[in-house]
Amino acid sequence: MAYVATRGGERAIEQSERLFRSDMGRIDQARVAELRHALPYLVDRVMGEASLYDEDLAALALAQTGGELYEVVLLLRAWRTTQPRLSVAAPIQQKDLFTHRRISAAFKDIPGGQVLGPTLDYSHRILATDVLTGTPFVPNNVVPSARAAPAHQPSVSAWQAENELLDLPPVEPVQGNDIPDLTREPLLFPSKRAHTLQSLARAETGGVLALGYSAMRGYGQAHPTVNELRLAEAEVMVKHPRGTSFSAGRVKVSQAEVVSKKGEKLELGFAATLGWNEVKCIAAATLDLNTKGAAKGTATEEEFFLYHTEGVESSGFCIHFKLPHYVTFQSSLDAMRDAKAKKAAKCMEPAQ
Amino acid sequence: MSLKSLTKPWQPMSYGFLDASAKRELRRKMLKSVAVPGCQMPYASREVPMARGWGTGGLQVSLTLLNPQLRVKVIDQGADDSVNAASIRRFLALVSGAPVTLDTLGADLIQSRHRIPEEIMREDQILVLQVPNPEPLRSVQPNMSIARQMHADADYGRMWLQLYEQIVRSGRVMQGAGYPSLVNGRHVMTPSPIPRWDVPKLNMAKHLTILSAGREKRIFAVPPYTRVKPLVFDDVPYRVEDHGGLTCSRSTAKGFFMNEIPQVDGSSTYEVSDSSYGVKTIQKRDGDAVQFGETWYNDGEMTQ
Amino acid sequence: MLTTPVQSPEEAAGNATFDALLWALSRPGMARTLPEPSDSPIIDALIDRECKVHCNDPLLVPQILRSGANQIDIVGADHVFLAVLDDIAALDDVAKGSDLYPDDGATVVLQVTLDRGPRVQLSGPGVDGTLALRIGGLPAGFWQRRAALSRYPMGFDLFLRDGAQVVGIPRSTKVEVL
Repeated sequence: MAYVATRGGERAIEQSERLFRSDMGRIDQARVAELRHALPYLVDRVMGEASLYDEDLAALALAQTGGELYEVVLLLRAWRTTQPRLSVAAPIQQKDLFTHRRISAAFKDIPGGQVLGPTLDYSHRILATDVLTGTPFVPNNVVPSARAAPAHQPSVSAWQAENELLDLPPVEPVQGNDIPDLTREPLLFPSKRAHTLQSLARAETGGVLALGYSAMRGYGQAHPTVNELRLAEAEVMVKHPRGTSFSAGRVKVSQAEVVSKKGEKLELGFAATLGWNEVKCIAAATLDLNTKGAAKGTATEEEFFLYHTEGVESSGFCIHFKLPHYVTFQSSLDAMRDAKAKKAAKCMEPAQ
Repeated sequence: MSLKSLTKPWQPMSYGFLDASAKRELRRKMLKSVAVPGCQMPYASREVPMARGWGTGGLQVSLTLLNPQLRVKVIDQGADDSVNAASIRRFLALVSGAPVTLDTLGADLIQSRHRIPEEIMREDQILVLQVPNPEPLRSVQPNMSIARQMHADADYGRMWLQLYEQIVRSGRVMQGAGYPSLVNGRHVMTPSPIPRWDVPKLNMAKHLTILSAGREKRIFAVPPYTRVKPLVFDDVPYRVEDHGGLTCSRSTAKGFFMNEIPQVDGSSTYEVSDSSYGVKTIQKRDGDAVQFGETWYNDGEMTQ
Repeated sequence: MLTTPVQSPEEAAGNATFDALLWALSRPGMARTLPEPSDSPIIDALIDRECKVHCNDPLLVPQILRSGANQIDIVGADHVFLAVLDDIAALDDVAKGSDLYPDDGATVVLQVTLDRGPRVQLSGPGVDGTLALRIGGLPAGFWQRRAALSRYPMGFDLFLRDGAQVVGIPRSTKVEVL
């Protein structure tokens, strides 16, 4: 309890951080480039959860934290906080996405065709252990199809709406700067549609999967059919102060539409995120599908799943229990001991 | 309008980490929280370079208030030397150049987790309390929307019922830290998980207290000279921890909130929880010239 | 490692202005000093594109436009700057928030004369007992109308500015005209 102790605390935290970082050693451009190249799906996942699209920064965050995923996302979110919002990109329609992969489980074929694109879905999950004994794994060349699939595809739900199988959600008239931004205003309930979708887009993949899976297993009302799953690139269209529109580049996005029968119509659940992350989108869309009429306090109630799938908050709170709590503990002990003493005193009283 | 007027020179980090728009939002919300004492005001709560639950709410308030002249003290469980207090203090100083202190008397702003210092805070000081869970009704209503409606209706019946049940079952209110309190006769708030010992310090205090929950995105305040009354029944008085008679084994300070230190022989010793106060007591014993402020408690009794 | 960022003059002014506003609202009736004698530092410290502002002072309009805030009618504005307040009926339209969201009640900045005019007595949170002061330049019946319109925790919060001096009167303050 002297000043020495204070310096001791400071020294301890500094040395413990050094110990952690010494395991990862020197971090240079080459390591970041290698991570970015070798782990695109991990990079995508953390960009989505961080709601910050920058592959280099994501790879750097992976390098800096040794892949401790909650730390990665926190690091990127904290960096995001420091950045000004320069412009708001124009909304983009599904049919305008540059599509790499697009499948529907609802129909054998769909207008525009099923486009399998890159996937491990039909691979046999066998470790290439030869790599460990010195034989590199060299992927086989891709043989391009004779007829290239169209880069732009209509949405399946648009066809269903034309055929009066479902009602598309009403188009919200808000534009640009007026679109509610979850990172600039608190999430309140009933939540704004934009907040719900943004929150799911940023949600922690494992958390969304756990709650989405509970809904799929029967703790939700609606059983999902994957209407459409899409991996694509979206053009980021912004306005120059002079008024002209231009593309600032493309970002990878994924999205899922799931549907369920509700009376004579289909109900639609939707989710999208930055980067390619199929599990998250299907699980998130399933939660969205189940929201309507969900009882308070159930996994499919919006307030319940949006709060509990926020990875930075949930992981932070979880690890905060490592912090000393001896004051609160002391306060509880005092109440417990007093209650116990009261009870003992009561037992000692002679019977009336 | 020129392009230049829309931009500003690039800098690796804003002063005080938060950008201007984040600070403005916090300022607006702080004003509203002062205007309606004890009422939880929602705010966006930016991510900061510390994990949620580690004082990010308090940190955002401090970062908004900081300037190069403002002297900062950071405590956790009453101690300046706690590792997380050291980490927050280092961060605040790094991003603002603000001077730091360990002495309650020398601080302009005190950011604290779970304690209010033992020396009475002055009018010119601000206390920022870190809040893990801002909702006093959470134990009777986990759903935030319903709890908000209960605050709107001043519907605290279930809260009272819970206290009543504790008295019936255990002969006393079993609430440890974070004792629910009625602010300005209207809103029930949690004073954050400070011990019951500290709650009376908020009542009609001279200083401004701002309570901020970063993870839960709520901010509330107790302005100076504001009534803060722990929820109690008329015939079962409020009781602080039974620490008034304890003596600190290291500094011999007596009559303050203590940390209990279990001993190998099954007994306990105690040390004063307010580490700065303990250090000063030791310095005085060693003959150093130190200045003490008036304390809220004298000989274990609340003075006001 | 990072070097400590330098506080720009704008940042310093914003910080000092907010310090004055926070202090003034926490101690109703006790004046604090703004960095300059106008509403301009208040706008810089509080207003940006997230705000909906009503302002009847043409001199301040360019600054509010630059901040990116929406300029709207007094109804629905979260910040109201009135250089001139002739008709207290304008108060009827000021946002008071709801029991559910009292923070939706507006912040209203008015120009007054301090130390001259009718005497009022303040009590409530932030006031040690009671505090009397003179506030001039407000239309007759202002305080009565404010009281009639407020149903705590609903209400609006006032900053009364005279030159660089600013006094805060939150909705929690009881104001009696002496």
